[in-house]
Amino acid sequence: MADDVTTDTHNQSDDLTHPLARKFLWLADEKVIQNFIWLPIIGLAVTIPLAFVYPFDEGHKAPWDFFASWAIIGFVAYSFVVLSAEPLFRLLSRKENYYGEEVEPEVIVAPKVEVHHHD
Amino acid sequence: MIDILLSNPGFIIILAGMLCALIPISEIRKFLVGAAPIAAAYMIFTAFKDAEAARTVISVGGQDMTLMRIDRLSMLWGYVFCLAGVLNAIYGLHEKCKLTDSSALIYMGAAVAGVFAGDFLTLFIFWELAALSSVMLVWKGGENAFPAGIRYLAIHVLSGVLLLAGAVMFARANGGDFTIQHVGLENKGGLLLLLAMGIKCGFPFLHNWIQDAYPKASITGTVILSAFTTKLALYALARCFAGEDILIYIGAIMTCFPVFFAVIENDLRRVLSYSLNNQLGFMVCGIGLGTQLAMNGVAAHLAADVIFKGLLFMSMGAVMLRTGTAKASELGGLFRSMPLTTVFCLIGAGSIAAFPLLSAFVTKSMIITAALYEHEWIVLAMLLFASAGVMEHSGIKVPYFTFFSHDSGKRVKEAPWNMLVAMGLASLLCIFFAFPWGGYQFLYSLLPYQDVHYEPYTGNHVVTQLQLLFAAMLAFAALKKWKVYPDERRAEILDFDWTYRRLGKNIVLWIDAMWTRLSANMSVIRGRFFDSAGKKLYNFFSPAGAMSASAPSGLSAVLTGGMLVVLFAVIYLSRL
Amino acid sequence: MDLLSSYPSWLITHGAALLIILPLLVGAITSVLPRERLAWIVTLIVTLICVVTSLGVLLDVYFNDAQLYKMGGWDPPHGISYIIDGLNTPLIFLICAMALLCTIYGLPSVAAEVEPKKRAPFYAAFLIGVAGLLGMVVTGDAFNVFVFLEVSSISTYVLVAMGASRDRRALKAAYNYLILGSIGATFFVIGLGFLYMETGTLNMADIGNILRDLDGGSRVSLVAFGFIVVGLGLKLAMFPLHMWLPGAYAHAPSFVTVFLASTATKAALYLLLRFIFMVFDPSFEYVITVVTYVLTALGCIAMLFGSLQAIFQTDARRTLAFSSIAQVGYMLLGVGMATGLGLAAGYLHLLNHAVIKAALFFALGAFWYRYGITRIDDFAGLGKMMPWTMGAFTLGGLSLIGVPFTAGFTSKLNLVEAALQRGWAWAAIVIVVASILAIIYIGRMLMAAYFQSPPEIDGEVVAKNEAPLMMLIPMWLLALLSIAIGVNADLVVEAAQGAADVLIGGGV
Repeated sequence: MADDVTTDTHNQSDDLTHPLARKFLWLADEKVIQNFIWLPIIGLAVTIPLAFVYPFDEGHKAPWDFFASWAIIGFVAYSFVVLSAEPLFRLLSRKENYYGEEVEPEVIVAPKVEVHHHD
Repeated sequence: MIDILLSNPGFIIILAGMLCALIPISEIRKFLVGAAPIAAAYMIFTAFKDAEAARTVISVGGQDMTLMRIDRLSMLWGYVFCLAGVLNAIYGLHEKCKLTDSSALIYMGAAVAGVFAGDFLTLFIFWELAALSSVMLVWKGGENAFPAGIRYLAIHVLSGVLLLAGAVMFARANGGDFTIQHVGLENKGGLLLLLAMGIKCGFPFLHNWIQDAYPKASITGTVILSAFTTKLALYALARCFAGEDILIYIGAIMTCFPVFFAVIENDLRRVLSYSLNNQLGFMVCGIGLGTQLAMNGVAAHLAADVIFKGLLFMSMGAVMLRTGTAKASELGGLFRSMPLTTVFCLIGAGSIAAFPLLSAFVTKSMIITAALYEHEWIVLAMLLFASAGVMEHSGIKVPYFTFFSHDSGKRVKEAPWNMLVAMGLASLLCIFFAFPWGGYQFLYSLLPYQDVHYEPYTGNHVVTQLQLLFAAMLAFAALKKWKVYPDERRAEILDFDWTYRRLGKNIVLWIDAMWTRLSANMSVIRGRFFDSAGKKLYNFFSPAGAMSASAPSGLSAVLTGGMLVVLFAVIYLSRL
Repeated sequence: MDLLSSYPSWLITHGAALLIILPLLVGAITSVLPRERLAWIVTLIVTLICVVTSLGVLLDVYFNDAQLYKMGGWDPPHGISYIIDGLNTPLIFLICAMALLCTIYGLPSVAAEVEPKKRAPFYAAFLIGVAGLLGMVVTGDAFNVFVFLEVSSISTYVLVAMGASRDRRALKAAYNYLILGSIGATFFVIGLGFLYMETGTLNMADIGNILRDLDGGSRVSLVAFGFIVVGLGLKLAMFPLHMWLPGAYAHAPSFVTVFLASTATKAALYLLLRFIFMVFDPSFEYVITVVTYVLTALGCIAMLFGSLQAIFQTDARRTLAFSSIAQVGYMLLGVGMATGLGLAAGYLHLLNHAVIKAALFFALGAFWYRYGITRIDDFAGLGKMMPWTMGAFTLGGLSLIGVPFTAGFTSKLNLVEAALQRGWAWAAIVIVVASILAIIYIGRMLMAAYFQSPPEIDGEVVAKNEAPLMMLIPMWLLALLSIAIGVNADLVVEAAQGAADVLIGGGV
């Protein structure tokens, strides 16, 4: 199924990188990753005040609807889902061949490369 | 004969599929795979005359069968299926496989024909045909796919049988009328019909076939499968159970529970299967609400869902074609080598998460608004929770672990051109369906109820939706920063299918083992009972036994006489 | 109607007489023909003419009405009359069609199973047997029934005995059949004697009228009824008078087995129907009692015991023979209900079973023809060795079980419906149980054929060796027919309904 899988441990920006992707390699930059969190913060900083400009329709309004409620719902729901992953995983996970199915090999060809070690 | 063939657009697709089975030249087959849905769409276009429902009825063995019934509801479904068919055809251009081509066409044709079927018997035929033809696509997936395909087939045949039984009961109670119409749970057979459709729709506890079979099918197979089966069932549900209260709650639960499974699942195609289930939940909930706005929302969301879910499966398929796996733990950093696929996948992810300007924003919100108008607060809360959940598994997890995250070190070629074209078209559609200047208006003009007005781009809607999504992203970034976001680990995640794949199987094995032990340990008792019974049966019936003793002319003669005596006795007694 | 108008009118008018006289006369000639191939061709032509004629008669009754043919122009009750009505025309056509298919099949089969010098007489006996069966079915004269019964029986004894060159046990089976058949015929003729005593006439319609005037008649007619039911019961293998059947089916030449299984017992059952419902009348207390209690009970017992016995057989033909006894039970159950629906369902099963069983026995004959197989244990790998023959056998087997979209399903469904309409839910259960037993005995053979590998001889897997085309054609024709009936049974159901209407409507 897999064709042309090349595992490259040393050089991230050689010929094997797609030409279109070369200009976007900064996406993997450690600084960008560290500062990604500012994107949603700025987004929220803009949209929460905007909710005063565009208020809820008084005729059709859920009991919990106020200017920043959807942001709170989003944050809480998302965190709840992610945090529930660990206990659920402990409860529900089994070995991959639990049902006696064929499993693709466990070890990948080369050890994983942490991108931010590169610089 | 010809006019019957031309009566239902699905028939020509099925016919094309049968032709494909005979044609050895791949290019001609590919042409048919692409042309048949276009031809079918043209037939829908000519057959539909405004709101009037066109019908074709034939009589088979005294039973009227409505082969074709077109109205605004079935028309939309038909168009969506044809559209998906064309995209899938482009996506599968690189694959030279006669079986896939023909079974995909027959499967798709069955789905289209099922949508235009006017009575339950016709629907039943295509219901089963869709199951039978689609299992081939599952089986193309390799070793693990075969038993999964058997399970898939068993469940779907069961669904078909339930459908038929329910339809017969309903028709009996209804004076022999098999027409597909509103059934409702209060009518006879309603429960069976709901169960049949529920299996195909993936109701909670009946959903496991989706996550079992879809991730194991072939690359193109999964893409094709994701478009039709569940959507056909959804259509039937919309026809028969619109406004059925219980569906509101079933749908709401359906939107929530897959979220938890999707977050811990490692196989990204399986994550998408849970996500499929979750999106179906929104539509089932909308059907349960049953208002005109809700039904419009269901229809619109169906159109959007087929495209963006297809797009996501396509991008995962492309990744799988190039790297050989779809497991999150084995992937990462692929944006370097597959940038176009990355962009398309992000568009799909944004669509399913309902970013403004992407398709689900204008469709899912209709269902949520309908729930708001009905003051179903608990349901509304569940739908909002699920919307945040969608953002987690499909909006962030799928693209993040595949294309960003840790670099897996895999350097592969970009997806083949035909896959890129298919994904590109799907992406364009995702944008077009939500395009504020003419795009969503076009989609809305195809919806079943034209009297209701819904405006998606209100300031409040855009703002609140963005709040939700940004907050979810913030949570993601924060959890990632504090290193509490769980890593992907390889594992088999148990779901309800454990009951039959493990528990049921083990019970059977246990009974078998116990039986063996029992027969070994208690051979005396068992022997005394079963052997003697068996021996008696054998002695009585076997060729050497009493009943078959050869040369009994004497005995038979006596029997004949005895028979006469018995007869006389009966006759004599009857005169008393 | 178009097909019917292409028939010459004399053929329709004299069809009834022609059907009997032609095979009878030609049969006599055939016996002295010097060459077997010539005898075969003559038989083929005669059976073909019979099929064409019977089809004409069938259509005539369907579109016009029942007719009474007076032999030599003498009016009944003094002359002999032949009846052509909705009850017997489907059966006439069935017998003729089966005779034709058997003849086609016979070219390879008879050559393999019968000694060369006996082959011409074999065909002669066959033709006379056909004439006898047709006579039994067509005639409206009670004594004539006995005569034709004997004609067909005697030729059948001969045909069974001719299996001796393949299997010596055929002689014993034929002897057994002869003794029991004669007892049956004697009982029948004794019954007729009593009836004559009571009514003074031998014309069946006449007897019926007089008995109705007498409101069932005196004790003499009771005794007559008893003798006739037992006599015919023996002929149609009603449990427990079926002892002759397994032996005869198992050891006769394949050709004969097929013909017997699909026509002989059916003709006897037809006579039972005609005597119960048209000579006697279910309105007589003693008739309805016997029908409701005795026939139904025996039918149900036959269904269960026949099927059970079939399960324990080692010989494939005996298995199917016992299955035949069980199937007769289904038909008797339908008759026992004595309602329009029940009779129609029984009659429908009669027609369907003839088609199904003939296909199955054709396949068994082909297995013997190629590999000498008769035991179920030897079926191993037949699915690979003779895929086409096994395919037909599988279709027939599924139909016998009653899988949906097969003929067997149609008739069993009708029977169940009739039983429920009669309020006999237990009968529906018996039908289902018997069908489950059928799954076991048919399943055993199919499992062996498909899931076991072909045997090896000297380390080499036995090669594929398909049956000759002359065998495959009739076999597949019937197998496909049984599926066709399962898909759309309108024509057959209508025929069965017509027959039931005649029975319930009474009188000629």
